[in-house]
Amino acid sequence: MKGKKEIILSTVIVALVLLTMFFYLTETNEIEFNQILLVSIVIILVGLAMYIIWDKIRNVQKGLPGKDERVIAINYKAGYYGFIAAIWSAVLIPTTINIIFGYEFDGGDISAIVVLVSGFVFVLSYLYLYWKGK
Amino acid sequence: MKTRIKELRARYNLTQEDLAKKVGVRRETILFIEKGNYNPSLQLAYNIAKALQTTINELFIFEDE
Repeated sequence: MKGKKEIILSTVIVALVLLTMFFYLTETNEIEFNQILLVSIVIILVGLAMYIIWDKIRNVQKGLPGKDERVIAINYKAGYYGFIAAIWSAVLIPTTINIIFGYEFDGGDISAIVVLVSGFVFVLSYLYLYWKGK
Repeated sequence: MKTRIKELRARYNLTQEDLAKKVGVRRETILFIEKGNYNPSLQLAYNIAKALQTTINELFIFEDE
């Protein structure tokens, strides 16, 4: 039951993200390159998240748990890597871009970078650890 | 760490999925334990040993590092 609740909640979050993306794209008249990049990263993240949700659904349908001790440990590890990536991306990416291109990000840009980079690292670490076994 | 899970599963005619259901984990977890890629918790090791009607000592082959 707990697993089913998590699946429903995750599906609702994915649907809301997709809906937000839809409104964002329909409200934007001219799409710039950085917006295409942003949307692409979000779509990749949503796709990977949908794969994780589908995997949980597949297990629950077979009568197996949505998550077990290995998946919980993987979640913690991937969360740790995502956290480290968030810290580094908040400092390293704006500084590097500033030094190389002389472009300064504002607070909103940095928040978006932190969310996207940490999300990306979390999902990739999760999938890597999941298929590696440890 | 090596295990005798595969051998004992075959003895009791259990698939990885059957064993996973018995001990309440995902099938992949059983697969990775069998391959030696994942070290289970003591509780899970005990549950697997119980499901296969053996002991932890009999089920897992510990090697000095």
